Amino acid sequence: MMWASQFLAPTLVQTTPILLAALGAMITSRANILNVAVEGMALVAAFTAIAVGQATDNAMLGFACAILAAIAMALLFGFVSIVLGADFIVAGLGLNILAAGGTLFLLEQVYQDPGGLRPDSFPEIWRVPEGSLDWLPVIGPAFERQSFIVLIALIAVPLSALFLYRTPLGYALRAVGEDESAAVAAGIHVARMKLIAVLISGLFAGLAGAQLAMDRLHFFLPDMTSGRGFIGLTAALFGAARPWPTGAAAFLFGAFGVAGDRLQLLQAPSQFVLMAPYLAALLALIFARWRAAVRGRPAPVERKAP
Amino acid sequence: MSAERDLLLKLQGVSKRFGEKAALANVDLSVQSGEVHVICGENGAGKSTLMNIVAGILRPDEGEILINGRPVHFSDPIDAAGAGVGMVHQHFKLVPSMSVAENLYLNRQPRHWRVFSDRAAMRAGAEALIRRYRFELDPDAEIARLSVGQRQRVEILKALGFNARLLILDEPTAVLTPPEVAELLMIISQLKIAGRTILFITHKLGEAKTIADTITVLRDGERVSTRPSRGLSEADIALDMVGREMRPPHRNIPPRAGDRPVLALSGVTMTTALGRRLLDKTSLSIAFGEILGVAGVDGNGQTELTEAAAGLAQIQSGAILLAGRDVTKLSVRARRNAGLSFIPEDRLDRGLSATMTVSENLCADLYRRKRLVGPGGLLRGAAVSAFVSATIRRFDVRGATPSLPVGQLSGGNMQKIVIAREMEKQPIALVVAQPTRGLDIGATEFVHGQILAAADAGCAILLVSSELSEIFALSDRIAVMFRGRVVGVVDRAVATEESIGLMMSGAVVEAGA
Amino acid sequence: MRRTFLSRLASALGPVWAVAAVLVVGFLIVLAISTDPVLAYRDLLFANFHSASNFALFLNRLMPLLLIGLGVILSFRAGVFNVGAEGQLYLGAVAATAAALALPDLPRPIGLCAALVSGMAAGGIYGWIPGALKVRLGVNEVVGTLMLNFIALLLTEYLVTHPLRDPVAYGAVSRVIPSSAWLAEIPDLPGATSGTIVAVLLAPIIWLVLFRTEWGAQLRAAGSNLRFAETVGVDAGRLIMVAMAISGGLAGLAGAFYALGIGHRFEQNFSPAFGLVGLTVALLARLHPIGLLATAAFYALILNGAAYMQIDTDVPRSLVGLLTGLLVLMMTVRPRRSALAGT
Repeated sequence: MMWASQFLAPTLVQTTPILLAALGAMITSRANILNVAVEGMALVAAFTAIAVGQATDNAMLGFACAILAAIAMALLFGFVSIVLGADFIVAGLGLNILAAGGTLFLLEQVYQDPGGLRPDSFPEIWRVPEGSLDWLPVIGPAFERQSFIVLIALIAVPLSALFLYRTPLGYALRAVGEDESAAVAAGIHVARMKLIAVLISGLFAGLAGAQLAMDRLHFFLPDMTSGRGFIGLTAALFGAARPWPTGAAAFLFGAFGVAGDRLQLLQAPSQFVLMAPYLAALLALIFARWRAAVRGRPAPVERKAP
Repeated sequence: MSAERDLLLKLQGVSKRFGEKAALANVDLSVQSGEVHVICGENGAGKSTLMNIVAGILRPDEGEILINGRPVHFSDPIDAAGAGVGMVHQHFKLVPSMSVAENLYLNRQPRHWRVFSDRAAMRAGAEALIRRYRFELDPDAEIARLSVGQRQRVEILKALGFNARLLILDEPTAVLTPPEVAELLMIISQLKIAGRTILFITHKLGEAKTIADTITVLRDGERVSTRPSRGLSEADIALDMVGREMRPPHRNIPPRAGDRPVLALSGVTMTTALGRRLLDKTSLSIAFGEILGVAGVDGNGQTELTEAAAGLAQIQSGAILLAGRDVTKLSVRARRNAGLSFIPEDRLDRGLSATMTVSENLCADLYRRKRLVGPGGLLRGAAVSAFVSATIRRFDVRGATPSLPVGQLSGGNMQKIVIAREMEKQPIALVVAQPTRGLDIGATEFVHGQILAAADAGCAILLVSSELSEIFALSDRIAVMFRGRVVGVVDRAVATEESIGLMMSGAVVEAGA
Repeated sequence: MRRTFLSRLASALGPVWAVAAVLVVGFLIVLAISTDPVLAYRDLLFANFHSASNFALFLNRLMPLLLIGLGVILSFRAGVFNVGAEGQLYLGAVAATAAALALPDLPRPIGLCAALVSGMAAGGIYGWIPGALKVRLGVNEVVGTLMLNFIALLLTEYLVTHPLRDPVAYGAVSRVIPSSAWLAEIPDLPGATSGTIVAVLLAPIIWLVLFRTEWGAQLRAAGSNLRFAETVGVDAGRLIMVAMAISGGLAGLAGAFYALGIGHRFEQNFSPAFGLVGLTVALLARLHPIGLLATAAFYALILNGAAYMQIDTDVPRSLVGLLTGLLVLMMTVRPRRSALAGT
């Protein structure tokens, strides 16, 4: 059973940013927004986490500022697309370019190192204490020393379900995404709902970026997110924007990344290993659409003798 | 006058413009408490705009609204609901994945601990409302699974549920079968007995006469008349709606029945993934120069019929023949090249690309036929210009220049472009659906003229329309569709609105008609 | 008449305003961080013309931006949001390199042609894939092309660090390709690849195809209203796939030109996000092939100029990246929502 928890532990670490991004994309999906900007928001959060964490030597402060930074980017994105009427996808791509360019600019201007921000020492975030869970078989050891953000991510799945299906705000959001005219007729403020969805996705993206930078790595590299935001978006599409399927898909894609690492032991070239999550996500999406196409095929007409 | 005090709703001098077009001009309206007041008018007369203003969806540019004598200004529909005005829309505003109860309580949910939705309370409240009006709905049923008539009842409940004293119904019978219509009219009488006031929009004169206490007629954004319905004949109402005597269009050349049909559908069946039959062994045949009108309530397979004929939708069994040739497996383009034209039911959805120019929409698949293309596929600019300008003139398309985006034309002129394109090919068969939807009188007359002229020239025409008057005005024979089946085909000469209406609700007429 | 001229002028000036606004923001930033802001901006905008070699580098940057931009215009006009140019570019470059390395003994014109064709084909296939997925299965093309980008870049990284690797050079580069496959330079402009001339010539050709042929009209119909295109008999599915293949092929051609004409080998990370910048200039040009000449030139200008700016004044070149982000963010803001695909 050791190998199970040995597989589960890194999977939790690798999956968490993807899961968080997926949940953020899912919430905006419910408001009928294809949110490609989670990638950029997470990147900004990662940068802020390291920058503030290093400057103040306080992990929680770094964490808090990372979340705020991501929400600020989300606000910008929401403002430009919802209030000013920009196309969501173009604005999302623009936000990603801004995030990448902006962080690189700050790296060069403030830290004089376009290669990345690598502090010599970095404060630790809160983790599940070692040895506290060894009464729980398999899962216990896997959860020990996991960052608290991992725990947040896991709880976020049922919490999102609760939010979407059991709160008035969740109902309103779903109405906006499914039938805008029904929402308007019921007096729901569509633009406000969409903005709320975007801000929530900023919160999730911020958590994703913070986890990515602060859990094991403790440094920031340009393009650090490497498409995890997009993989999360794919998971949300694959899961039809429903919390549990989305969470499962994100977990699956993350697991592919870890499985790929194991494959490296068999001396497969590292590039193919790294390809695994993207391939998995793409193939999953293709499979889902293929299933839908097959299911949607019209039923054949029986040829009875006249 | 004591009558003034009984006025639940009074509109004074209400005007509304959309851009340059005046949708409403100085309209007055007085609605007594407890009456059923019907608003009649042709498409585009302003009925929906007026009701949207009363219901708080639109704001008037000029004029006043008074409820029980007090002026009101509604900023949104919720405001209006607070003042007791509820509207049942023609296009339902319901969230498909949510239940009846959830839709009734959307945005005004009872809460647990102020944060969570209290679903039990919603269900109980919905049940109470359903029982109060004896509607027979399951509060937990998902909207997506309800029939059209049931969904309409949910809409009505939504409007009533907030103690609406004034209930507005916008063309409610457009999507109902005749028995559902009868049920609805009964509900309205019940509501009247319960003390509600009803504003009912329709352009169907028979219904208006049945249900109304008072009938107001709008025409071109102005109020033409308001009279008690007793003693008013349908002809009187029609005269007010139209403003002049309608000359029924007429055929110069009768169709040649007995020849081999030009367009025929034989045993055509179209199914959904779950096996539901959208078209069920449908068979129709149309002769040279004949107009076959297909009547029926929207949603009984008419759209599928036209798309199957045009090649835009696949059928699961049966055959489609054009001039004797089996075209069932042919693509849309191949059918068009073989002489089939299609005027789709929604010009902005399928008929045109609003952002492309008049020229590009008009020439769409006429390039080769009209020799507008040179070597290498290059367009011949001068030839295109000449053709487009000539066509604009011939069809009298107002406001059109070749490089204007076609979406900037008015509805009637856009329809002319579609018709021009489809007719320019001199088709041997034409499938046309809802040709005058949203058009004013002048445009309607023009379109009817074009259809008749095409038939005179020998074109076999399959005409689908939800306007029975249009079917009766143009058709040589009338077919009725119900649940994907052709339940009867009758000669125009012997058809009556009653017999067709019966067939529209599924009754089968005896053979020999 | 006057109305359409004025509205055409207004719609052409829109991007000019956006660019001007962003340049002003940039100048404010430069003012804040640099001791010589004027020199910084002078370099940014004009350094390209200071010498023939600077100008050659500018032309070299222009080529991929133009080709990718034209590809984006074609795919967007067909209604496909193709963000996969980066992957198509890389695959084109590596395919051209591989072909040249595999067939060193071919005479000059044939070797070159074979390599170019390989590059175009690789890019074309990689563009066709997401197009086919969208048409046949309804797979969202934004997500599809984004995933494919990452896959392509990893694939080329593998190829250039294993089979195509140059054993003596440092870094992820391929072996130098035989000179039989080298693409000629522009005469009198050493260092500038003649691929740029091809790119510039293609712009009016693509314009012609889009706006003056029946095929182009059908393409734009499919992109502006797919149901309308179907109704008038256009085989929209096939058209979209062909458009995506051409779009990918153009990006692949850019990659092939780059590998064969500049550097004469494949280098991982040779592209400073040409894919995204190509998308930017295409959108900035409101998807108009002739306007693209101006926007791509402008961008090649400042991308190049940024390098000189950094050398002379310490202003980081990533300023351009930051400003690009702002530009794209604001680019589709309209008081009245009009479609991306206008004339």
